[in-house]
Amino acid sequence: AAMRSRAEVDVTLQTAKLNPAELLPAVHCLSFGPQAGGGECCLLQLEPGLCAELEAGHSLVIRGEKDEHAVLCSKDKTYDMKIADTSNMLLFVPGCKTPEELNADPASCNIIHSQIAGFSNNYWELRRCRPKLKKLRKLLMEDPYDGPDSQKDQTSTFSKYTTEDLLSLIQASEEEIFHQLQVIDACKIEGYWRILNFDYEMKLLNHVTQLIDSESWPLSKVPLCPCLEELGSLEPREMVEHILVSYGRKYVDAGEVFFEMREDKICRAIAQMLLQNAVKFNLSEFEEVWQQSVPEGMTTRLDQLQGLALVDKSSRPETIFLLKVEDLPEDNQERFNSLFGIREKWTEVDITPYIQDLCAEKQTVGALLTKYARSSMLNGVKVYNSRRPIS
Amino acid sequence: SGGTGALAQWVLVELQGEVVPRQSEGLAGSLLGDLHYTCEGIPVLIVGHHILYGKVVQLEKPFAVLVKRGGAPQPSPAGPHSHYTVTALIKTKLLFKTRPKPIITHVPKKV
Repeated sequence: AAMRSRAEVDVTLQTAKLNPAELLPAVHCLSFGPQAGGGECCLLQLEPGLCAELEAGHSLVIRGEKDEHAVLCSKDKTYDMKIADTSNMLLFVPGCKTPEELNADPASCNIIHSQIAGFSNNYWELRRCRPKLKKLRKLLMEDPYDGPDSQKDQTSTFSKYTTEDLLSLIQASEEEIFHQLQVIDACKIEGYWRILNFDYEMKLLNHVTQLIDSESWPLSKVPLCPCLEELGSLEPREMVEHILVSYGRKYVDAGEVFFEMREDKICRAIAQMLLQNAVKFNLSEFEEVWQQSVPEGMTTRLDQLQGLALVDKSSRPETIFLLKVEDLPEDNQERFNSLFGIREKWTEVDITPYIQDLCAEKQTVGALLTKYARSSMLNGVKVYNSRRPIS
Repeated sequence: SGGTGALAQWVLVELQGEVVPRQSEGLAGSLLGDLHYTCEGIPVLIVGHHILYGKVVQLEKPFAVLVKRGGAPQPSPAGPHSHYTVTALIKTKLLFKTRPKPIITHVPKKV
């Protein structure tokens, strides 16, 4: 179709009985561009901060496999995506000027031909969500690292993931993924991210704690180089350093690298080692063995086991069993169903370590409990149980 | 991805109802109408025999315009979701919510 002329525009104005003197001189003649009906354009509503990120040249990535709901990831945040319908028609028009822009440019010509690039009656809405990181551990647990002597590693390269692999498979932002890799003590071996097999990890830890003991080093000042020297013949130096980094806090003193060993984390790991060998333990027996098993100078406390083990105070004698929060479902409702399946009634103190990670940005544990649980009093103590009957 | 260079700024025009092609060949190339602004900055859209009055709205939450990059489907684990490019940003919309005023083109004279 031929483009409209200014004369045609003026005739239309006359017919519409609009006074050109009351209008800005420029008119936009809107027509549909060649791709307009194609449906290749869609709209994404931006949460605060994302617009600035895009303008600064950063990328947003949509991630999700066929069986997952799509999420949008910025450099450091993750958002759920949902389609929002409107009853109106939204047309997207490039090169369309606002009155301010027209007034600011008095020399602008009096006819602008604008092509509508596309139209839609819906758009993607974003809602900040927790990064979906459970899959990260699941992938890395497909093939935990057993040490250099393990036969497995030499033959297979499947189920091993590079940074790029993880970025494309995990529905989380890059920063959230890297943070989680640190939290789970993953390390890079020959270009692949690996989690250590727990038994191998304990073997390494044991080498280190025995050396600390035989050298009488203070737990707060374990020197890196002598460790590598002494243990380098038993295990790869990278693994020795990795275990020190995982279970200690690195610092430099007078040019030398030292580690302040993390008592809580070491005690917790040793507890896991003891607890994983049986369904449950007599609590007092466990506490005795546990204290005897940790390095000299360290003190065990039950609060070190939050999110790892649960004490059953109702049994006689009291018992303790392994319950790892990372083994529980990631979805809120499924998590609560699982917890109430394990125990019918929970105190807030007991359940908090197992739901803390579900809290959204400004959400509290109390808010979660209000939403997913029902409270009642039991022997003068407030307890929470399921909102629905558990079959 | 955002890509290099400044992102284009587009404008959203929001209309009530549906866009239906008049011709059977579809929408591409067909005219929608003339968009004017009054001296006070009120957008006026003439569509067919209707005048629509609207207002300029600065969007609290801007939009990004995503364009699907088609092409050979790759056997990548990322699946079908990953191939979008941000083409433009939209921070302003022209909202036409008032009922269209019909343009009367012929008034029969009273005898």
